[in-house]
Amino acid sequence: MTSKAAAAISALQQALTAEQAASYGYGVVGAHLPAGSAAAAAAYADWVAHLQAGDQLTEMISARGGQPAAAAVAYELPFPVTSAATAQRLAATMEDRVAAAYLVVVALPAAGLRSYGAQQVRAAALRAQSWRGSTEAFPGMSAGALRR
Amino acid sequence: MRDETRLGDARPGALAGPSRRVVLAAASAALPVLLTACKGVQALGTPPPPPRDIRVLRAAITAEELMVARYAAAATRLSASPGGLLAAVRAVQAEHSAHLGQLRSALIEPTGAPTPSAPRAPAISAGTGVTGVLGALEQAEQDASRRLLGQLDGLPAPLAQLFASVAASEATHVPFLQRAQAAAS
Repeated sequence: MTSKAAAAISALQQALTAEQAASYGYGVVGAHLPAGSAAAAAAYADWVAHLQAGDQLTEMISARGGQPAAAAVAYELPFPVTSAATAQRLAATMEDRVAAAYLVVVALPAAGLRSYGAQQVRAAALRAQSWRGSTEAFPGMSAGALRR
Repeated sequence: MRDETRLGDARPGALAGPSRRVVLAAASAALPVLLTACKGVQALGTPPPPPRDIRVLRAAITAEELMVARYAAAATRLSASPGGLLAAVRAVQAEHSAHLGQLRSALIEPTGAPTPSAPRAPAISAGTGVTGVLGALEQAEQDASRRLLGQLDGLPAPLAQLFASVAASEATHVPFLQRAQAAAS
């Protein structure tokens, strides 16, 4: 395996890990939203989007000779989720992390992967905006990556 | 035993850090000076065009300057609108200013290089209503996001990441403005 292929698999694996975590997290989110509400429907739609993205990443990793990592059985939440408000905050936080993971894919030199990563950063940012109700200047980028 | 993992533990190890600043010195601008010193003016040919990544970055900076100017004009036009709507426009304008700052910091021009004047936003006619003003901003945001996403190929990785992040941010401005307008009406 070439170093480029290994780098691609590593980046895709990071994105897959983030997608798997988000898929788990949306189960928590949905459980704290009123049944039948628009927010619950949005959580379901976003959960499906993450499942599909995970499947796609699994295929992409396998196609490159990699071994996709299995999802964990459970994930530690970044903060207690006890209400609809904290559930929505969790959704936005997960989307931020998904965007960050896909920015690693954007760093790859292959045009197709770079474009794919950028589209996914955009999708995650849009979902984060819908949960948060506000926008971010630099979705997915850490403060340390930005010039002061 | 449960296999427990911290949620979202995928840390983006390849993210550009401050030590990996994109240094895009516009060396081509300095080349004629060096040649002049060595062989005289007659030896000069046409300066080579700047590399593609520099041209793309300069274009992105110009586009972002135009976006800041658009929002400034829109804020003036909407100054009498409900407070929430104006606040939303100003919030987005602040993000565009932040985009502009990051893009500019990625470009190092040689000392003495001419600084192009900032572009002027298209005038908003007095008869344009709130819907028209916001619709124009939303269209500009969509165009800008699409343009940035179409320019990623061949860019240095840190610059590609910055472009992708800015493109994502600009895409989110559309539903944000729509929500602000709905709340104000």
